[in-house]
Amino acid sequence: MSKYTFHVTGTHCASCKILIEDILGDQGGVKSVEVNLKKQIVELEDDTDQSAEDLAKVLTTKIIGNGYTLSVDKKEKEKNSDNIIWTAIPIGLVFLVLFFLLQKSGILNFGIGGKVTPATSFIIGLIASVSSCLAVVGGLVLSLSAKISQDDKSDTKTIVLFHTGRLVSFALLGGVLGIVGEAVGVNFTFATILGIIASVVMLLLGLNLAGVFAKSAVAFDSGIFKFFRKVEHKNFAPLLVGFGTFFLPCGFTQSMQVTALSSGSFTSGFLIMFAFALGTLPMLALLSFGSASFAQSKHAPLFFKSAGVVVIGLGIFALLSGLAGLGIINPIFNI
Amino acid sequence: MNKTASIIIAIGLVIGIGFILSNKKNVEEVTKAPQIEQSYIKDGVQYIPIIAKGGYLPRTSIAQSDIPTKLVVKTNGTYDCSSSLVIRSLNYQKILPNTGETIIDVGTPKDGEKLLGLCSMGMYSFEVAFKV
Repeated sequence: MSKYTFHVTGTHCASCKILIEDILGDQGGVKSVEVNLKKQIVELEDDTDQSAEDLAKVLTTKIIGNGYTLSVDKKEKEKNSDNIIWTAIPIGLVFLVLFFLLQKSGILNFGIGGKVTPATSFIIGLIASVSSCLAVVGGLVLSLSAKISQDDKSDTKTIVLFHTGRLVSFALLGGVLGIVGEAVGVNFTFATILGIIASVVMLLLGLNLAGVFAKSAVAFDSGIFKFFRKVEHKNFAPLLVGFGTFFLPCGFTQSMQVTALSSGSFTSGFLIMFAFALGTLPMLALLSFGSASFAQSKHAPLFFKSAGVVVIGLGIFALLSGLAGLGIINPIFNI
Repeated sequence: MNKTASIIIAIGLVIGIGFILSNKKNVEEVTKAPQIEQSYIKDGVQYIPIIAKGGYLPRTSIAQSDIPTKLVVKTNGTYDCSSSLVIRSLNYQKILPNTGETIIDVGTPKDGEKLLGLCSMGMYSFEVAFKV
């Protein structure tokens, strides 16, 4: 019986501890296993009498599929993950450049004249999903799904629930707007404040994904992340976030809401908003399920860090725009 | 990837983004654009036309002060953020019709006053400066 202490990488979450302890505890020869997330070490007792290096290799093969590696030497791994961020920063920035160029190009500004029908609102949805609204809604979807995939690689249920919540709430609230008619005004200030909250969440998740907080894994466990992790596996939370996207600031969403308002009946408001949400679905589904599938590939660390860079960029853009929208700062951007 | 190369590329890309997003408007582009009307005075009221579609045009303009003034905001198949217009100094916020003209009374601005209009998300804006 010997005692070993290994350095572990890839532990992003509290549930990682349980997962690693479960898998390693099931291995023959392993008598006890204790993961310390704070120190990023695994302490275990084993009676196979192997050298520490060999044992680390053998055990790594059991958990590498989940993104964890064990090593005797710590420095090598840190260096490796440092290198990933230097690749991730340019990749993330290239995506940001492409996104802002697309906005600047004016391609998205072609007009759709005439009366809004469910068919045209579907097309408007398609355009909206690649427009500047992507900075808020898409950024939020990307950061949330990447974070969820990072914490639990097989969890697409949460993502499905989010999209369901979004589609259902758009349809139902669209219908309600249709009945209520002109009586209700859409409050911009409320939407803008919600957008600022969303952009702060994006910034935090982006920094987390990019691994800025990685030096002290403790940071993950405190405050917002703890809360986030608590709710992310519950069913109502993703539904509620999907529901909340109805109120996020997005010019397209707001003008569709007004169209639904003036449509005059539950059915027409329902159809217009549902078709609009359906139009935004392909892009948002690509972002969220794309994150989930990348999370299972060997490029996962690079993907998470690049996504983090993109989300930070979009978060800064959305935050500064939102502050300008509230009149707190002078407008900085004009795309 | 090499750390130095990465930093150089990153700085280049950040400058690129800054350039794309910069508020500096291309004056020539604005004056050449045929659809932009100049402001005009009719029956003692100054009308300032603003086109709202994928942003606001002209982004900056100069108008006469000390005269009753109205903005004429024109939309034509506008569904993007510029259709949700906010003018904080007037306490004005409205979702413009997707196609049409919206007339906004801005009172009688004094010399040196500036009028800032934004879309609700804040990434599109226009400014009218009033001068004697």
